[in-house]
Amino acid sequence: MMAPSRSARGEPGAVATPALPASSGSTATVEVDDLVKVYPGGNRAVDGISFRVDRGEFLGFLGPNGAGKTTTIRILATLLRPTSGRARVAGLDVVASAAEVRRRIGFATQTVTIDQMATGRENLALIGRLHGMSGRDLRTRVDQLLELMTLTDVAGKLAGTYSGGMRRRLDLASALVHQPEVLFLDEPTEGLDPQSRLALWDELLRINRAGTTMVLTTHYMEEADRLCERLAIIDHGTIVVEGTPTALKRSIGADTVSLRLLPIGGAGPGDEVIDLRTVRAEITRRLEGLDTVSAVEETDEGIRLSVRNADEIAPELLRQIDIDGIRVYGLSMVTPSLDDVFLHHTGHRIRAEEADQVISMGW
Amino acid sequence: MTTFAAETWYLGLRAWRRFYRVPANPISIVLYPLIQLFVFSQLFKDIVQLPGFGDGGGGDGSYLAYLAPGQITFTVFFAVSWSGSNLLYDYRNGMLDKLRATPVGRYAILAGELVPLFLECMIMGGAILVLSLLLGARIATGVPGAIGVLLLSGAFGVAWAGTSFVPALLTKNEQATGTLSILFFPIAFMSTAFVPVALMPDWLRVVNDWNPITFVIEAMRALMTVGFDWGAIGRALVAIAALGLALHSITLWAFRRLTA
Repeated sequence: MMAPSRSARGEPGAVATPALPASSGSTATVEVDDLVKVYPGGNRAVDGISFRVDRGEFLGFLGPNGAGKTTTIRILATLLRPTSGRARVAGLDVVASAAEVRRRIGFATQTVTIDQMATGRENLALIGRLHGMSGRDLRTRVDQLLELMTLTDVAGKLAGTYSGGMRRRLDLASALVHQPEVLFLDEPTEGLDPQSRLALWDELLRINRAGTTMVLTTHYMEEADRLCERLAIIDHGTIVVEGTPTALKRSIGADTVSLRLLPIGGAGPGDEVIDLRTVRAEITRRLEGLDTVSAVEETDEGIRLSVRNADEIAPELLRQIDIDGIRVYGLSMVTPSLDDVFLHHTGHRIRAEEADQVISMGW
Repeated sequence: MTTFAAETWYLGLRAWRRFYRVPANPISIVLYPLIQLFVFSQLFKDIVQLPGFGDGGGGDGSYLAYLAPGQITFTVFFAVSWSGSNLLYDYRNGMLDKLRATPVGRYAILAGELVPLFLECMIMGGAILVLSLLLGARIATGVPGAIGVLLLSGAFGVAWAGTSFVPALLTKNEQATGTLSILFFPIAFMSTAFVPVALMPDWLRVVNDWNPITFVIEAMRALMTVGFDWGAIGRALVAIAALGLALHSITLWAFRRLTA
């Protein structure tokens, strides 16, 4: 049931900081050059973004809410005009040739958008008609999509009666009626339960394998990891770093070591009272000089360190902090996640959540 | 142009379905005009006794025939008042974005909202005509004239829709849309909806002479009680066109601003 993850394909991939665009004559399906969007009121939502997407690629934008992902993708979907910069989709300028671009793209918005007072079939048929489809071609295509999204049984019912997962599938289907070259997806699994999320991931990978170029925005690491061939990590309106998920994780070269400085469940009778702040400060002071430690972060229970190779470093670390008054209650080592990559490049996390794949050794 | 027509048709179909699939809607557009007409005609029926009312009655001196055209325009106000909210609903829930991401022309989206409005106005006009006939009025021009009345009603509704679209697109707020479109209601009273010109004070006469609603009412009234008065019909069409042009040029501007 698990969809094959992109990183499992072992792409070597290059890690690139955003490069200056090549001269025109490139055959990329999506080309963005120094895109800027300033909203009235001064909000600089997109602050100079440049990137490429090749035909058939699956590119993801990973970043926290407010990073500029939705704004960027809306510009590419011709719904928003950039303040400056250029964007081309399928070889056409999104501003000058907006109508032509629309014929070649599909767009699934962040919140599911369906006509509740129309049946599933009517929903799809309308979009098809607006793309100039008609007659048997339209009917066949609509039936095909309903089949693909397992909505055939409810096709004649009002979309307002559909469950959340069904609505999302209908919404996705409506973006595919006209077989677009490029599909833009804004947080496609937002609000879905885990099962629906997995099913949708399968679907998106299938669509991509059939030849559609995909551009997706997300703040879910697992989604970015699993679906995207290439990622652009975005924060405060700029691309911080680009590359394949594997390469990005390897490039920061840092494992994470978490030290627990408080006993689990709080101090018990007979334990010394621990002033966490002082202990942290002392440890930080001692470790900051080490060149194997690249970042130090405070946690609720102690301290988290970005290190080059946790296996080798751990004993040295413990030696460094083996002083009176500091007791380490536990140690965990974590291989890097995309959240760690994000932290490394931006200084903060996508969300305040633990990274996955923790190897915990407590004593 | 034909693409625009096709797009408007399909979007209109969608909007129409959205309307009639809520049972309250078709019920209300048939019942409301009936209630309104019945109440007003019975309430004010002796007004035709006033000297100065003249031959304003429907040949048989009944207020009913006199009142019906004004009532039709009143019901148009109600149909129109929620058209702006429908537009806002689509704007808010992302449907407007979804439609704009297709090759559909921007203005077809607006035009699509006007299609069910046209039908609603015709239906309400039809309900009033039917009730009038049942209560004893006669239509001087028969079926063709009745159809003419319905078409005028629909056209007037399409033009008048601007009074709801403009507040909606400018304020992006359903409450404000409703409140602001109500501001236009007094204009209906400053017309010959209820009384002939002869019974109006001077200042009101001036307003009335320039009130597009009066032109529409007089054309309908002629069709119902007199005959095919092409002068009156022509004036009504010009009034509707002028009204529509004035209001919808603002609508288009506001819509462009919203979807830039």
